[in-house]
Amino acid sequence: MRVLLIEDNADLGQAVREQIGDDGHAVDWVQTLAHAQLAIGSTAYDLLLLDLMLPDGRGIDFLRRLRSAADRTPVIILTAMDQLSDRIAGLNAGADDYLVKPFDLSELSARVAAVARRYSGNPNPRLQLGELSIDLTDRSIQREGEAIALTAREWALLEAFLQRPGALLSKSQLEERLYEFGAEIESNAVEVHVSHLRKKLGFNVVDTVRGMGYRLGRLEQP
Amino acid sequence: MKAAGSLQKQLVYGLTLGIVVLWVVATALSGLIVQNRLDDAFDDAMQGAAQRILPLAVMDILNREEPLTQQRVAPLNALPGQVAYLVRDREGTILLQSRDADLTVFGPPTMQGFSTTPTHRVYGASALRDTLFLQVAEPLSYRRKAARDATFALLLPLLLLVPASLLGVWLFVRFSLRSVRSYRRAVEARGVGDLSPIQTAPLPLEIRPSADAVNNLIDRLRRALETERRFTANSAHELRTPLAAALAQVQRLRHEAADGPVKERAAQIEASLRELARLAEKLMQLAKAEGGSVLAEVPQDLAMLLNHVVGDLQRVATVPIQLTLPPDGPVLSPIDADAFAILARNLIENALKHGAPGRPINVELTTDARLSVVNAGDVLDPAELAQLTERFVRGSGRAPGYGLGLAIVSTVATAARAELKLASPATDRADGFQASVQFPVAGM
Repeated sequence: MRVLLIEDNADLGQAVREQIGDDGHAVDWVQTLAHAQLAIGSTAYDLLLLDLMLPDGRGIDFLRRLRSAADRTPVIILTAMDQLSDRIAGLNAGADDYLVKPFDLSELSARVAAVARRYSGNPNPRLQLGELSIDLTDRSIQREGEAIALTAREWALLEAFLQRPGALLSKSQLEERLYEFGAEIESNAVEVHVSHLRKKLGFNVVDTVRGMGYRLGRLEQP
Repeated sequence: MKAAGSLQKQLVYGLTLGIVVLWVVATALSGLIVQNRLDDAFDDAMQGAAQRILPLAVMDILNREEPLTQQRVAPLNALPGQVAYLVRDREGTILLQSRDADLTVFGPPTMQGFSTTPTHRVYGASALRDTLFLQVAEPLSYRRKAARDATFALLLPLLLLVPASLLGVWLFVRFSLRSVRSYRRAVEARGVGDLSPIQTAPLPLEIRPSADAVNNLIDRLRRALETERRFTANSAHELRTPLAAALAQVQRLRHEAADGPVKERAAQIEASLRELARLAEKLMQLAKAEGGSVLAEVPQDLAMLLNHVVGDLQRVATVPIQLTLPPDGPVLSPIDADAFAILARNLIENALKHGAPGRPINVELTTDARLSVVNAGDVLDPAELAQLTERFVRGSGRAPGYGLGLAIVSTVATAARAELKLASPATDRADGFQASVQFPVAGM
């Protein structure tokens, strides 16, 4: 997923970006609402991680503006405000989840995954894809009881396909989901990851539509 | 120092006593004056009687064929009371006397003017160049009775007026002190955490400075407490972001470090940071609980709030939390949403911490705003149970905690006029621990 992190504390921002990045998501990190606005204008994000108290305004106002502009991007609020009324106000403003600081990075990962699942229209973290049993919670994948290990990028790629089964994803769309701004992307990065996925999961897990992009392969659904 | 009694009682008794004493003194003085005036009047009457008897007696004696014989005449009707008289010559020979005259009361025959014997008042006058002496005597008892009657007549109204003035004084004092009494009621009626100025009807000039001083003091106290509360809340709040950063960094470090001493050290730092975070949270809750901002102006739906709190805790709970909410609509109570959440959260956290492992926790809210949290576990002894709400007291030999949690719950409950009850074993069970809080219901 492509994630926008809006957090002005440098240490926290760095750690969160690393954590979410390790989960295989591409994270852009900005420290002000103005930069967040710019980022949203130029990139389609799958998730926003929003701090409520930022140098140039309140995150909750930003969220309200976003929702009133009919933007439905999932938002998880990260905040030091721990009162129930703050939480209710945040959820009422349109947040999907609310995480009070200090939080565990593993809990953040779990919540990010949960929100992503909810938005993919399939809240069940266990999927069956042909012979493959996929558990999105602990990122495990098995074929006939045998575990298959994927790298974070490979997972991210697989999740991108799983989130929109049947949709055609262009190479640049996939690059956008895999890599944050400023990351050095080799020209054939997507092709390399796709070929690794095919090697591990089976050739027909991803279909190539020549000149257009890729989509989830028609593995037989049980 | 001896405690001063009721001002009202003091005033009523003091004023009534003063009035009665003054009244009695005034009556006594009046009695004396009346007696004096009566004496004068009686003396005038005696003198007048003597003046009327004397010429008659002289004529009578001069016309006698045998002078110097004693003769008794009937007492004159014109004389008041029991006046007796005696006419004698210079040598003391009795020439004329009233019928009932007792010789012993008259004294020496030549005595003139008024004199008083132990029993009688005597008036003497002479005629015919001091050859005849007339003496008139009146018993003093007659005068005393008249004086007594007069004094009693003066005292009689007093018997009616004393109770009347007592009642009057009491009513007047009560009326005058009504603002003081309403002030007292206002002071007595206030809750523990209520630090708003005391507002009553205008107080008497003498008491106003004290009341103003009290309000002043309350205001200063309130501001001091508020500053302290804000400081605690702000520090706890401000602590959260750097704590979050440190915790996140140390978690990354643990994640990146190879197995070994560095990873262990990182785990230790992480545990310390978590403890610090927990403390910051409790401080913030305590500040909220003691800040007095525990009552809400708009009634809150406890069912909705409880649902949030339980939903939040279910993520981290190791045992199931069974929530029972009333089926019909909201449960409204005039308690601040955050204060309720703090209370509910602490009760459930306690239950999670101290309940028997693997046994579910029951959280129930009834339609009449009664929250009950029950966990399974050993029965606590009553002495321990009674101590639980004291700050920093923990159940002996049990899991850590019970330190601030129940103290916070108790503080919030008191400030919100809710009633906290702890029971072990839980109601209708042989084991476990139950905390129940009866919240005030909105509109009642």
